Amino acid sequence: MTGICKSFPGVKALDMAELTLMPGSVHALMGENGAGKSTLMKCLFGVYRRDDGSVLLSGREVEFKSSREALEAGVAMVHQELNQALKLSVADNIWLGRYPKISRYFPLVDEKKMQGMTRELLSGLGIRISPTAKMSTLSVSERQMVEIAKAVSYGARVIVFDEPTSSLSEGEAQKLFGIIGKLKADGCGIIYISHKMAEIMRICDTVTVMRDGRHIATAPSSELTTDKIISLMVGRELGSRFPERKNKPGEVLFEARGLSGVNPRLKDATLTLREGEILGIAGLDGSGRTELLEGIFGLTELSGGEMYLSGEKIRNRNPREAISRGFALLTEERRRTGIFGILDIRENSTVSSLGKFTSFLFLRDSKRSEATRENIHAMKIKTPSERAKISTLSGGNQQKVILGRWLLTDPKVLLLDEPTRGVDVGAKYEIYTLIGKLAEAGRGIIVVSSEMPELLGICDRIAVMSGGRIAGEVDPGRTTQEEIMTLAAKYI
Amino acid sequence: MPEINEDRERNDGFFVKLLSGARERIDGFRSLPREDKARRVREFLLNNAMYIIIITAVIIIAIIEPRFISWASIINIISLTAAKLPIALGIGGAIVLTGTDISAGRAVGLTACIGASLLQMTGYSAKMFPNLSTMPVFIVLLAVMAVGAVIGLINGFFVAKFKLHPFIVTLSTQLIIYGAILLYLQIGNNGGQTLSGLDSSYLDFVSGPLFRVAGIAVPRYVLFSVIITAIMWVIWNKTTFGKNMFAVGANEEAANVSGVNVFKTIVLVFVLAGIMYGITGFIEGARIGSIASYTGQNYESDAIAACVIGGVSFVGGTGKISGIVIGVLLLQIIFVGLNFLSVDQNMLYIIKGAIILLACAVDMRKYLVKR
Amino acid sequence: MKRNLILYILIFAVCILTVGTALTSCGRRGDEVSVFYYTYSDTYISGVRSAMDAGLRRAGVGYHNYDAGSNQTTQTEQVDTAIAKGTTMLIVNIVDTGSDDAARTIVEKARAADIPLIFFNRSVSEEIVKSYDKCIFIGTDYEAAGHMQGEMIAENILANYDKYDINGDGKISYVLFKGQQGNAEAEARTKYSVEDCNALLSEAGRPELMFYDKNNKNGYIVDQDGNWSNAAANNSMKTILSGYSEAGGNMVELVIANSDEMALGAIAALAEAGYNKEGGRVIPVFGVDATEGAVAKIRDGFMTGTVKQDGVGMAEAIVKVTENILGDMEALSGIDEAMVIGGWRINIPYSLYTGDDAE
Repeated sequence: MTGICKSFPGVKALDMAELTLMPGSVHALMGENGAGKSTLMKCLFGVYRRDDGSVLLSGREVEFKSSREALEAGVAMVHQELNQALKLSVADNIWLGRYPKISRYFPLVDEKKMQGMTRELLSGLGIRISPTAKMSTLSVSERQMVEIAKAVSYGARVIVFDEPTSSLSEGEAQKLFGIIGKLKADGCGIIYISHKMAEIMRICDTVTVMRDGRHIATAPSSELTTDKIISLMVGRELGSRFPERKNKPGEVLFEARGLSGVNPRLKDATLTLREGEILGIAGLDGSGRTELLEGIFGLTELSGGEMYLSGEKIRNRNPREAISRGFALLTEERRRTGIFGILDIRENSTVSSLGKFTSFLFLRDSKRSEATRENIHAMKIKTPSERAKISTLSGGNQQKVILGRWLLTDPKVLLLDEPTRGVDVGAKYEIYTLIGKLAEAGRGIIVVSSEMPELLGICDRIAVMSGGRIAGEVDPGRTTQEEIMTLAAKYI
Repeated sequence: MPEINEDRERNDGFFVKLLSGARERIDGFRSLPREDKARRVREFLLNNAMYIIIITAVIIIAIIEPRFISWASIINIISLTAAKLPIALGIGGAIVLTGTDISAGRAVGLTACIGASLLQMTGYSAKMFPNLSTMPVFIVLLAVMAVGAVIGLINGFFVAKFKLHPFIVTLSTQLIIYGAILLYLQIGNNGGQTLSGLDSSYLDFVSGPLFRVAGIAVPRYVLFSVIITAIMWVIWNKTTFGKNMFAVGANEEAANVSGVNVFKTIVLVFVLAGIMYGITGFIEGARIGSIASYTGQNYESDAIAACVIGGVSFVGGTGKISGIVIGVLLLQIIFVGLNFLSVDQNMLYIIKGAIILLACAVDMRKYLVKR
Repeated sequence: MKRNLILYILIFAVCILTVGTALTSCGRRGDEVSVFYYTYSDTYISGVRSAMDAGLRRAGVGYHNYDAGSNQTTQTEQVDTAIAKGTTMLIVNIVDTGSDDAARTIVEKARAADIPLIFFNRSVSEEIVKSYDKCIFIGTDYEAAGHMQGEMIAENILANYDKYDINGDGKISYVLFKGQQGNAEAEARTKYSVEDCNALLSEAGRPELMFYDKNNKNGYIVDQDGNWSNAAANNSMKTILSGYSEAGGNMVELVIANSDEMALGAIAALAEAGYNKEGGRVIPVFGVDATEGAVAKIRDGFMTGTVKQDGVGMAEAIVKVTENILGDMEALSGIDEAMVIGGWRINIPYSLYTGDDAE
């Protein structure tokens, strides 16, 4: 791809972007959110029409009008958010739209043949999933594998991975890397989009960095370091990836004893949280981390255990009770349970604290706008006004708006589930700073994260969950990733 | 620097601000490259297609048939709009929740029946309750609002508690209410007949003249509609309940996490809608002079159409009271206007359907990903 | 982009449609009379409408038709609109016949605007019509239809008694489709058809008709939607035939319908069960209206008789009166005096149709 340009009203999203992919290699495409990675890929797949530039596939100029056309030409994409027919089977999802027929004159779907072909395909890739399993019963990582298998079934020569590991556990990611290695050995070219430095350094051969829609640099990964890549992405040297911590843990603020949920993923979890403390929770996907936070917040029902806030026994039967006691929950899936995409920033910010802005039964819009503007200013949210729709903001800015929503409720205990998922490097740093400041003000903070360096970088203490229990606690200053991984596997 | 600007803006009069805003927009538009200009114009035309069609239509109709803009005709359109506004305002809330309410028409029918039966004049031969002296109008109004609220409570409860789609819930309640209407009309002296012989206190209270323009009376229910619209505007925009309604409509799960009482919000939206149906039913009785089992039938379809034309989207979480008012008004202008043009009644249905379809398509376009 | 294009085309199409239909009706602009039909879905009324359209066009009178869709509210609003438009005359086929108030409301509106008013077909009480000097009713003596139907049924049964009495119990069991609750025509037809028939049967020494279902004390089946519809009668008849049959010895031996639409619905259900069709036994079915469909069935021998409600005659009378009023002449001039009752109404006579007199 050379000289790709694409303009949107008022913005030049791509300006002479380029990318060259060799067969049998893994090519990382990096850049902050908004750097133009997704736009470049959308131009490749015909979601957008490029204004200028050319795309050559094995030396032939191509211009796909839809991702379907691209797929048929052997260019496939595994999306960050999988778009699959969840109610159908694995085989259905792979062969959808081109079901094998019994014969030309008897065009009914040949189930048997389809199952066979699917089994062959999956075993060829070393994936162990039944072709007849329903998609909805599979984990995210398994669904991703199905998507990869689908791409392979089309004879794909170029496969684009868009943040494939963002919702995978460490073990699942390992499996994925294995498959990527296999694809590479088979001569596929792979474009790998991710924010995670460690995995880029591990599996990629070449790295291309983009910034502001421009091509910045392409180099073999062996010649690059994490800090070098970050400085290329940000366009400046970052002093450190994590801000300095100034918070001082104080008295015990919150205690949970033997919490278990109606959902069997959470059983017998015990933890304490101090005032002004940042407590990290590590663990594999499915270890009950999210369920623990949701249970504390009253979002899912608890079947046993006790909770104490400042020594007083409490029970949160629903989120409203939790909020009134000073809890706040930043959920993992921002789009599904966090933002009100169709509403503006002001509505998104004040939805949990409307009582504060009411006088004589009526809401005072001027006060709401004022509070929202203060949030925008304090958190450096990039937006033209407080009345802009939240869906027009980048992931990091959306996350800041939701954090701001909770700050307006003046919470004592903040429960943050993957606070930096889908957030670019620059915004991540700002969110870490915010978390630090909140702890400084004496609030207790629990951070669930799959990114080990993040936990090690910002937490005072890390509790590791395994099989719905707290398997142990470590001091981030002295522990290693190996120790955490061992704990995480304790109750499996 | 920005502070100084703000100060100046505050000192300037509203009008000056408006003017400078307009000038800024025009300048901004001029500075755009030609392609962008064309695109802007296209966008503008598409986004306001409904308004453009209507304004053009009004002008054309007025040229062909000048009586269309006579006082008699204007007051007719305003009265029709006022009569249909409360029900649309009620359904609007259900649509904001990504739902709908097809029991609205029957709810209007039942409340109208109850209201009319309690307000028949004494001594009327076919009076449903012959021994009942005519009740105070205001008490009856409260009673029918309460009946409407109960219907809404049932609808809302099933939607919120069992997570049923409002379409299914109201499809069922609609039948139940119709059965209740038929049973109710069998009570006492009535024997399934049309309810009439309405007391003059009731007729005057609802459709008596408010004031006269050029000798043509504006009925009182126009005032009712204005008051109800104002109240609904305050509820939608200035109360916690209103904001919660939009939050639930935009993203129910996020609303729950954010501490919104989703159950209460959904139930209240339907209860409020039910009260609106009660008011519509109350107006209906006096406006038409008689109430029968078919009263209110299919009212919801026009109300839903008006909401959609007015930009209350089935996507959920969006909609304005002003939009609903405009939607109802536009629909009435279309109907009356086409009759003024002596458009064949058969074609009328076709045009009505086409306009609603078009409005939905234009509306949906705003929420689709732009390419 | 493609989507926008489609939208443009759509918008354009709607504009063309609207303007086009407006322009085609432009020729009729000027003074016009407004005709309000209770519903376009009624076959008989549609027949009247066609005849009236033709008649008004021939007379050179501009007109505009309104469809109330069986809803009095809609009709009252349409009257408002027509008056606001400056119509010269209101010709109303009222929806609500259950009470006087709907008609009274319309009379008051006409009086306020000083516009002549003709009610037609669906009955309006004498008191209401007489309350406004520019008001007249053109319809039928609706009681007569019931009487005539009863007489026709009795004569027919007496001539074929043994053939009709399928189970040989000496009695004729029947079903009656009423059409609508609370409608004066329906009430009268229901009452008189059976009463008169029974009277004649008794006179001839035969037992009275017996309603097929002893538990139904009403002695009729009603269209719950009040639409006198083919479909509702068809559904009811199918349900009946699933429980009553020749084999069970309780077959329904006579069908009386208050309209031909319902009669045809019943015949369709009978045909499905093997009756009233080529090679099947014919159960006598009687209707009212003499619609095209019913006349054809009678000619083929699958329906027995109907009372002809002269739609064309009614339309002609309305057109004549309209012309008179618009021409500042005596409203009733040129109308057969035998049809004029008490100066306030014109009754269009009924006639029987049993196929015997078919040309």
